Amino acid sequence: MSVNRLLRVGTVAVASLGVLALSACGSDPEPSGSSNPSSGSSSTGAADCPQGTLNAEGSSAQKNAIEEVISKYNEKCADVSVNYNATGSGAGIKQFNANQVDFAGSDSALKTENKDGGETEAAAAAKRCQTNPALNLPMVIGPVAIAYNVDGLPKLVLDGATAAKIFQGDIKTWNDPAIAKLNTGATLPSTPISVFFRSDESGTTENFTKYLAAAGAGAWKGEPAKKWTGTGAGKEKSAGVAEGVKSTKNSITYVEWSYAVDNKLGVAQIDNGSGAPVELTAESAGKALAAAKPAGTGADLALKLDYATKEAGAYPIILVTYEIACSKGLPAEKTALVKSFLSYFAGKDGQASLTELNYAPLPEEIRTKVDAAIQSIS
Amino acid sequence: MTAIVENKPAYDGKALDLTGRSGARAFKNTLATVLIVLAFVIAIIPLVWILWTVISKGYHLLLNAEWWSQSQRGITVRREGGGAYHAIMGTLIMALITAAIAVPIAILGAVYLVEYGKGTKVARAVSFMIDILTGVPSIVAALFIYAVWITVFGFNRVGFAVSLSLVLLMLPVVLRSTEEMLKLVPDELREASYALGVPKWKTILKVVVPTAFGGIITGVMLGLARVMGETAPLLILVGYSKNINLNPFEGFMGALPTMINQDRTELALQPAADRVWAAALTLILLVLALNLLARLVARFSTIKSK
Repeated sequence: MSVNRLLRVGTVAVASLGVLALSACGSDPEPSGSSNPSSGSSSTGAADCPQGTLNAEGSSAQKNAIEEVISKYNEKCADVSVNYNATGSGAGIKQFNANQVDFAGSDSALKTENKDGGETEAAAAAKRCQTNPALNLPMVIGPVAIAYNVDGLPKLVLDGATAAKIFQGDIKTWNDPAIAKLNTGATLPSTPISVFFRSDESGTTENFTKYLAAAGAGAWKGEPAKKWTGTGAGKEKSAGVAEGVKSTKNSITYVEWSYAVDNKLGVAQIDNGSGAPVELTAESAGKALAAAKPAGTGADLALKLDYATKEAGAYPIILVTYEIACSKGLPAEKTALVKSFLSYFAGKDGQASLTELNYAPLPEEIRTKVDAAIQSIS
Repeated sequence: MTAIVENKPAYDGKALDLTGRSGARAFKNTLATVLIVLAFVIAIIPLVWILWTVISKGYHLLLNAEWWSQSQRGITVRREGGGAYHAIMGTLIMALITAAIAVPIAILGAVYLVEYGKGTKVARAVSFMIDILTGVPSIVAALFIYAVWITVFGFNRVGFAVSLSLVLLMLPVVLRSTEEMLKLVPDELREASYALGVPKWKTILKVVVPTAFGGIITGVMLGLARVMGETAPLLILVGYSKNINLNPFEGFMGALPTMINQDRTELALQPAADRVWAAALTLILLVLALNLLARLVARFSTIKSK
């Protein structure tokens, strides 16, 4: 009888293993673009296709961009798996420095000074790269939208000082005289403004607070930082704040443009002091980027943006998201993978695929510099 | 009751009517019934609601064969298509490794507690520890493994590390249920076995454990179902991958909870929202399948008294 029972248990176990074995024949989906992957863009030939897996983590501002590029890259290089976890710029740099990922995505270049007096991000990254400096490679330009949700207000104009006061908490209601002055003729509700901010450490917050500090005419009290110091309610990640504004009437936040578009939120026009309010478009964001200067010298490609630009038609709140990779010091097979993927990302094909996702492509001058830096990785 | 009534001297001779209830008692009875039914309904509402929402929003993707056979490689949040194969396999692999480590330890531990260490100080101390371990939140287990696996040993984040932290969560569940099952085995069976001159180890192996087998398997399956839905260890100890990775010792690995988490932030986009609901339904179905399997095993393996 006990033998019988064991037999029965065995049968069930074997049956369940069989189900597992049956299911063990999965595959990857066919590339969506071309039915014949070999025909595609193999003519470029510059980026050869190694084999292996590349792990990356960081900025959620570039999540949509890098996923699109990974998808396109896989059509070309089918043997490379690229994983990108959008956990935020701060987390990405930490994981990169802790040797957990092969490159990091970050909305700001590695810090070369530490206010607390400890080890700087750049120094920790160099340690990770076996005493070789890590590269800041500007890769994606994402305009930051001031997104709002107010009934009966299809158009909202703000300037630096008013925006700073709203996000500082000094302007509390929508019909404040400062807002009314910029929006003559609009019907503004007397309800309080609910502000949403990023509760995680975010490069978007850092870039936005840099803008508020530069263009806010002293109304912004805090230092530009990854952690929010203004007023409001915290939400996690870009999608969190976008969702917060979408579901809350009379609210406002700062978020990457693509999230504002995806969630069908109102996007404020910015009066940069040139006279006419500037609407957020790829063109107006590109104009502001043209004013950007390299912050460092030589191979350091970190960019210094002019947030207080008064140029007509330039949308001043943009963020440049970087890929942070070792210049040297990775194992050979990882180096080949990083080089292959990043050259595709910085290449013309890679950059061209970003415009439809509401990112702006890198200006050609900067793009060639980035490409040269990637080729120098060894 | 009746005896007291009969002894009363002032009894007026009318026939005592015991069939109906007096007004107050009938009222109390109705009130209690209503409250109980109400509590039941309140308890069932969220359950049915969740099931209905998940099924109605998620079922249509599950009807595609590609959902079960393809990964999410190259599928961005804006695109439809792809499947959950990578995540299903990731979840199953991590759960199997967890079970392979946790189940032997838990069952042997329970055998010690019930058969050998009964009443000793060590057994009581272990029992107490297990009770504490049952209450440990998954994030604490995950951070503990992170401290050991990554900070101390310097390894990378991999699926196996997730399994290790899930062991900490599964162990007390299985050990506790196995212990209860072994306690239910009547001492007469053990004594009968000893009376025939069978040694203790053989008694445990051939009499005690087989008698409790159905219950033990049920406990194992319930433990598995519990750990399969855990998210905190997955977030901390392994990166999410859209690609198929069947190696728990290297690289990022997909899993159903992290697949839900990955697209959760993009609910404004329909393809992503569909996938979130479908992944949730898949996870529920996996757990359901495991529970059914447990029932089946328990039914087939119960000793029938003739």
